[in-house]
Amino acid sequence: MPFNSIDFAIFLPVVFILYWFLTNKDLKLQNLLIVIASYIFYGWWDWRFLSLLLFSTLVDYSVGRRLGIENNKTRRKILLWISISLNLGLLAVFKYYNFFLDNFITAFTFFGTEISATSLNIILPVGISFYTFQTLSYGIDVYNRKLEPTKDFIAFAAFVSFFPQLVAGPIERATHLLPQFYKKRQFSYPLAVDGLRQILWGLFKKIVIADNCAEFANLIFNNSASYSGSTLVLGALFFTFQIYCDFSGYSDIAIGTSRLFGFDLMRNFNFPYFSRDFAEFWRRWHISLSTWFRDYLYIPLGGSHGGTWMKVRNTFIIFIASGFWHGANWTFIVWGLLNALYFLPLLLTKTNRTNLGVIAEGKLIPGFKDFSLMLLTFSLTVFAWIFFRANNMEHAINYISGIISPSLFTIPVFEGTREAWITLALTGIFVLIEWIGREHQYAIEKLGLTWKRPLRYAVYYAIIIVIFWFGGKEQEFIYFQF
Amino acid sequence: MKKFLTRLAVFLLPIFILIYPADLLISNFLAKSNNYGEGEVKVWEDIYTGNINSDLLIYGSSRAWVHINPQIIEDSLHMSSYNLGIDGHNFGLQYLRHKELIKNNKKPAYILLSLDIFSLQNNTGLYNFQQFLPFLLWNKNIYQYTSSYKGFTFYDYNVPMLRYLYNTSALLAALKSFTNVRNTSVRNKGYMGMEYTWNLDLDNAKAQFNAYEVKFDPALTRLLDQFIQECNASNIKLILLYTPEYIEGQAFVKNRAEMILKYKQLAEKYKLQFLDYSGDELSMQKDFFYNAQHLNKKGSEIFTNKLVKDLKLLIHKGQ
Repeated sequence: MPFNSIDFAIFLPVVFILYWFLTNKDLKLQNLLIVIASYIFYGWWDWRFLSLLLFSTLVDYSVGRRLGIENNKTRRKILLWISISLNLGLLAVFKYYNFFLDNFITAFTFFGTEISATSLNIILPVGISFYTFQTLSYGIDVYNRKLEPTKDFIAFAAFVSFFPQLVAGPIERATHLLPQFYKKRQFSYPLAVDGLRQILWGLFKKIVIADNCAEFANLIFNNSASYSGSTLVLGALFFTFQIYCDFSGYSDIAIGTSRLFGFDLMRNFNFPYFSRDFAEFWRRWHISLSTWFRDYLYIPLGGSHGGTWMKVRNTFIIFIASGFWHGANWTFIVWGLLNALYFLPLLLTKTNRTNLGVIAEGKLIPGFKDFSLMLLTFSLTVFAWIFFRANNMEHAINYISGIISPSLFTIPVFEGTREAWITLALTGIFVLIEWIGREHQYAIEKLGLTWKRPLRYAVYYAIIIVIFWFGGKEQEFIYFQF
Repeated sequence: MKKFLTRLAVFLLPIFILIYPADLLISNFLAKSNNYGEGEVKVWEDIYTGNINSDLLIYGSSRAWVHINPQIIEDSLHMSSYNLGIDGHNFGLQYLRHKELIKNNKKPAYILLSLDIFSLQNNTGLYNFQQFLPFLLWNKNIYQYTSSYKGFTFYDYNVPMLRYLYNTSALLAALKSFTNVRNTSVRNKGYMGMEYTWNLDLDNAKAQFNAYEVKFDPALTRLLDQFIQECNASNIKLILLYTPEYIEGQAFVKNRAEMILKYKQLAEKYKLQFLDYSGDELSMQKDFFYNAQHLNKKGSEIFTNKLVKDLKLLIHKGQ
């Protein structure tokens, strides 16, 4: 059930009413309601995949319980590996089977051995990478004794399936989210209002910016051979804003929705396109995944404690793993690799923690140096997104070759140029609002909080009208496929 | 919680109050658009506002719509005429137009029903769904006829404004109609001449399929029977037509002979005239078509003149 659907617009108030008025006196009942609502929410796509969700829940709950009573190191390790293998096994089968098979066949063919194998017609369950990583974090934290294993199956099932963040994150840590299911939630007026405001902003980002940009990004990427270099650059820019607004819009709605139910989810985006270097970018983009890789892969590999070679190796491993997490395609791996290369100079010069604060804090306009660094980081990001969006490596290379041509200096022309200008204008306004609100959790968090209510409401109505009028053709959230 | 719900209600109240009048307003202006939904909206609006009131009506699909120019008929036969051909739809939707027309306009003396390979074929998709937008919430018959198709959801039929969500083109068309800026007509009495040259539709179809087979839907066949009986009972003279179809396209339809025979038998059963132009010299000349099924503007004008001659004879004979 996508957030931008009428079904969800009905589902949310119904669950809200049941949650606060019918089940609020009994915590267990409230958690059970969350589980039921989350399973309905997930089953709306394909009820058959509920079995995977249940399987993941049962495996990690059982492993957690065993880890809680087991003191033998070897047995504990075996239990951990059971959890990791089963969770990653699900991913391997549903997400990576055909990719490995195709590459296996290609490799053998390269060495002169013809082998035949049948690829399977596997449907990728929505959000499998998200909830798999979330349950993995539980198993690892319990193993590392950072978290007491839960005895409350309903609370654990609610933690795994919590509908606002189930299919596209933020990928929560068990240490942060699970304890929230043990405590009685109190309704908070400021939190709920803030949640609604964040939902509204998330919908604006998704429906107005991402969906409109998607139309042109799809048009240009799908017919890239017929467009000029300048149009291809524009296509990459459209995709750059599409993916940001699509994904961060989803996170905004997820976080806002959770607040309505008294939950606090971790921040997932922090204005990444205003970053001055790639270390800063990765501290601001898909934070829940970056920190997951940091905590569960980078640090266990030795992190930055070893020598330079160790740091470089570990950095490449996490970026490639991050690319591969997105999908079974070489384009994602190259995208990860490219980001690792962008990161490398910062690592080698030990400047990866230079830009920790907000750009031009307290100022309206950034200084020349900050602006130049921001522009450079943004341009390199746009370049990397070409690999992310391309259908395959050949497509990506042809796309880039198309850009590097004399037609780069021509005026972009494509079907619907007039509508594209409207989209660009809306995107420009959006960037401006984001810039103004960059010191807050989300752009309109503090917008007009001191204004009189009618004026504030007028702004919200205006956003609703813009969503209504300028909403793009309904597109599925990009990150559902991951 | 009480404060939250009260404030939320206060915030949402204007939306709930205004949503219905807003739908009414947008739908009314959109219905007056001269070009929205390929001009089909204008035809529906003419039907509902009683602007048709013609002696001779043309029914059928896009082949009727782009093949027969009512102006030529009017000029030659001195009979008011209107083309109600509906693009992309079979006899089911054509019959809906007839029902709505009879309710809101004077009864025609003649109906020319253009039959083709798609007339009695089942169709699940609601082609050019935009044409129904202004009438969806307000018209039970439109709901009855279109709800079985894939296109609109339950919410579209029942929740005001929802069908206009993210539909910038509909909102702009309503605005153009309201301001009367760029609200130019694309049709003349329902007809639209297509100034196109031959395209690759037939080649593409041939590349995709070996041949095309018409599948007759029994329910549509019964509906056509019912329609003929209703015309007889209302003393409306019905003439069946098979307008020119490019010869190579004719060969592409596997059971075409069976289809033509079915139409002939229907005409014989009810003692109707069936004017079949499949063998007409126009059907042999590619220059007058833009694809196998559709004549271009020049072709349609030549054809309408031929049709007028034949109609003159029939009307003269009192048939």
